[in-house]
Amino acid sequence: MTWLNSHPLSFLVFAPALLGFVILAIPQTLARLARMVGFMGAVAIFVLSLSWLLGQSGSLAPILAERAPWFTLVGLPVDYSLSVDGLNLWLVLLTTFLVPLTMLGTWNSLKDRIGTFAALFLLLETGMLGALMAQDLFFFYLFWEAMLIPMYFMIGVWGGDERRYAATKFFLYTLAGSLLWLVALLYLAGKAGSFNPAVMGPAASALPFSVQCWLFLAFAVAFAIKVPLFPLHTWLPDAHVQAPTAGSVILAGVLLKLGGYGFIRFAIPMFPAAAMHYAKPLALLSVIAIVYGALVAMVQRDIKKLVAYSSVSHMGFVMLGLASFTVIGTQGAILQMLNHGISTGALFLLVGMVYDRAHTRMISDFGGVAVKMPVFTGFFLVVTLSSIGLPLTNGFVGEFWILNGAFLSGFGWGRLYASLATSGVLLGAVYMLWMFKRVFWGPENKDEGSGTHHLHSDLNAREIAVLLPLVVLILWMGIHPRTFVAVSEAPVVALLKDAKAPAIRTFTLKPAVHEAPAAHPAPGGHAEPAEPAVKGGHR
Amino acid sequence: MSLTPSQWAALLPLLVPALAACLIPLMSLDKDQATAKWIRAVMYGTALLAVGASFWFITELWKTGAQPSFFQMRMDRLAQFTGIFVLVAAAMTILQSWDHFHQEGWVKGETLSLLLFAVVGMILFATTTNFILLFLALELFSLPLYALVGTVRARPESAEGGMKYFLTGAVAASCFLMGGVLIYGLSGTLDLSAAAITLKAQGLALDPLVLVGAALLLLGFLFKVSAVPFHQWTPDAYEASPHPIAGFMSVATKGVAFIALLRIFGSSLVPLAEVGVRMQSVAAILAVATLVVGNLTALVQTNVKRMLAYSSISHAGYLLLGFVAGTPAAFNGVLFYLVIYLAMNMGAFGLLTAYGLVGDHTTFDDLRGLGWKRPALGVSAAIFMLSLAGIPPLGGFYGKYMIFRELVGAGHVSLAILGVLASLVSAYYYLRFLVALFLQTPGAEAERLASDRPAVYAPLAGATVLVCAAIVLAGGFLQAFLADGFTRRALTEGLGLLR
Repeated sequence: MTWLNSHPLSFLVFAPALLGFVILAIPQTLARLARMVGFMGAVAIFVLSLSWLLGQSGSLAPILAERAPWFTLVGLPVDYSLSVDGLNLWLVLLTTFLVPLTMLGTWNSLKDRIGTFAALFLLLETGMLGALMAQDLFFFYLFWEAMLIPMYFMIGVWGGDERRYAATKFFLYTLAGSLLWLVALLYLAGKAGSFNPAVMGPAASALPFSVQCWLFLAFAVAFAIKVPLFPLHTWLPDAHVQAPTAGSVILAGVLLKLGGYGFIRFAIPMFPAAAMHYAKPLALLSVIAIVYGALVAMVQRDIKKLVAYSSVSHMGFVMLGLASFTVIGTQGAILQMLNHGISTGALFLLVGMVYDRAHTRMISDFGGVAVKMPVFTGFFLVVTLSSIGLPLTNGFVGEFWILNGAFLSGFGWGRLYASLATSGVLLGAVYMLWMFKRVFWGPENKDEGSGTHHLHSDLNAREIAVLLPLVVLILWMGIHPRTFVAVSEAPVVALLKDAKAPAIRTFTLKPAVHEAPAAHPAPGGHAEPAEPAVKGGHR
Repeated sequence: MSLTPSQWAALLPLLVPALAACLIPLMSLDKDQATAKWIRAVMYGTALLAVGASFWFITELWKTGAQPSFFQMRMDRLAQFTGIFVLVAAAMTILQSWDHFHQEGWVKGETLSLLLFAVVGMILFATTTNFILLFLALELFSLPLYALVGTVRARPESAEGGMKYFLTGAVAASCFLMGGVLIYGLSGTLDLSAAAITLKAQGLALDPLVLVGAALLLLGFLFKVSAVPFHQWTPDAYEASPHPIAGFMSVATKGVAFIALLRIFGSSLVPLAEVGVRMQSVAAILAVATLVVGNLTALVQTNVKRMLAYSSISHAGYLLLGFVAGTPAAFNGVLFYLVIYLAMNMGAFGLLTAYGLVGDHTTFDDLRGLGWKRPALGVSAAIFMLSLAGIPPLGGFYGKYMIFRELVGAGHVSLAILGVLASLVSAYYYLRFLVALFLQTPGAEAERLASDRPAVYAPLAGATVLVCAAIVLAGGFLQAFLADGFTRRALTEGLGLLR
């Protein structure tokens, strides 16, 4: 056990993949056993990650870290380097949490090759955890790319009718960004003589500003495709809609987060000057994504596609928060990433549950579902409200902080963009509530061919067990967000200090972050349907 | 004439396969070779034994670190590397062709004999800087390959492909010969290393005739690696030849030509630096053309063998980029990439045999749904295709990584960007292979045919596929071990680079 004591992160990252290979070796006839083994393994990983990582205070030092030289090729040393610190702690936990939850939530959704699916799912978990923890850019790149392979097969084999198109598009789109990024990476690593971001960052700031800008753009495009930022988002609706429920949940829950995480972890700290230089275009694209995503979501007929476009809108908020270069905006972005993982993940699970029963996702096929499935309706309502950003739910806090940060950023565009982005919150309420009304309220759709007609049973215990933790988290994050952002405060402050954000942009540092909204009544919240007297995470 | 033990050591790895190549046709004289399985087994056994013995001789040399020579023929580390490379490819080809020729119903001893002669020529090609020897070796491995392409005479396209390959190959070989003659005429020596020094001393480095001579030599190599615009023979020749032979050609011919290219242009002609720079800029332009044409044409292929042919053209482009970067580390990247490329391509062609796709039944439609039928082969196929596309953490990625890294380091950032864009395009057609294997269900017609036919049983080809998959994986996880312990030593001790 001494190895385990000194390498807990290696275990967390590679145990799922090892288990995945074991499951692949289990014959098809025992597929149900394979699925069960996979699920139990994922649960064990979650429990271990909780017990090893939680309960640490928010300091700059990593909670756990491993670093060892791995190999040197063509004169560039590559480190085997994993670490968990304030920036990725909750994303890591979100990943280990969502994987078993999704497996349980989609237990009966797939009929064939379930063992292989579970194996791919575990391989994907290794890719995601590795990318989240890697502290060496080459190592990060390996996971970042390797992650595509299981996801490609998950969409391509178990997806909907257009799955081949969607899977290939997803693969090539992401590959395009990361290949160009690889060239930038090689260039910078050649200058720095290392793939360690702590060495590459100073080397980058020694380069001419125009070169820094090019390098930042290469990083930004690779990450923005994953986020996805308008106009690089076009792979997302296809991938989301065609993927099986489990794939959609993980795609929304974790994979998209890696884009935003890449900005926070690598792109901004390594090229602070260039990042500030491009703050305005980034913010503009984010605002376009917020409004455009919401408008497109409004006219969707397919619930899953609606949720997919709402992802574009919500991830736009994340990017806006990052582009504000304020502590509150960045903290809001981190929280919003978690929010989106929970809420959108839950939405995809819910849509999957109704699809398993009705075999349709068209809004017009439903109506009066509330009568047939009251429990389901209750859960759906909570998640919908969280997605809209109702106070007391997680969505509110994140969006509020982000808008606040953008408004007070001190950039010339800050107030205008924050106001425009606020309309996204309003539009979010429109498309979600409108969809909710058409699906759940109204007279029961008695048509023989309709979706409602095929809804024979309400949620069973398994499905409730899946949804309950999500609802608890939604409320917890809405009521006491401090739990989830305390650890990231110190790293974020350090990050923005390094970025030399002017004083006005960091004035929300003191007092502590969660009190900031109260200290500065924020016009950013005006468009909230019900503006509360108490702000954000003040409770 | 009596030989010293050292000379024997240099010669034996070539003599043994040559002897076997002479013996095997004698066995196949028996009229019963089409019916008696034991005769066939003896022929194949002899061939394998010869390859194995030669492999053993070379690995013994590698282990002791001896670099013996026999007159102009120097069995140095690089030549030993080439020997190992070619012999592994040949062994896999022999194993695969046992299954393939039985599927085709066309088992002939002369194919083995021709293959072994080609092996001898290939190893010889990488051992020398003497032009006469170089040219003889080139012809020694080219002529058997022309014949091998057309070996299944029952298929009409086979003769066409062989003839096409032969005619274009003859033109390229005569260009190569002309290039050597020009250099010989100006320098008065047949040894290219000595010639380069002489020409430098005479101040003829930028003489137009020297440039023409070097360019013609380069042309000969580029034809063999099937770089654009000397690539037209490739798809037809691959399509016409039996799968294992196509795999062997794609791997061994390209590999040996690149190794000889490195030896001649990366080492022997180094004194003529001006010539080298010009040849590199020519190679840069042709590499770009190769990447563009190879990848874009591969996109529209419906036949897997033609797709693999264009893919092998585009891989010549990546390898040429390593030559363009011109640093010893880039050459190391080229050698590393060749090792992985051997496994990827022998594996990919081996899959066709292992799945029992004979004749023209090698379209993407014929592959549909096969990935799920034999999971081990399916996983191997995924490994080959993703590695060919350069997806980490597989071996192909590290090959590209090393080459692109040196390219960026040498200041050719735009070439590196073009290279990665080319590999993005290539990902599409490699994915298409996987789409067919895993994401599509077999057509009704294919199901019916499959139920009519006896089950495919190709254990030897299957085994080679698994070995290849293991090599590609090893290239991904033991990359530094392979690059430092194997390819780098070939360069350091063979060419005196990277010390």
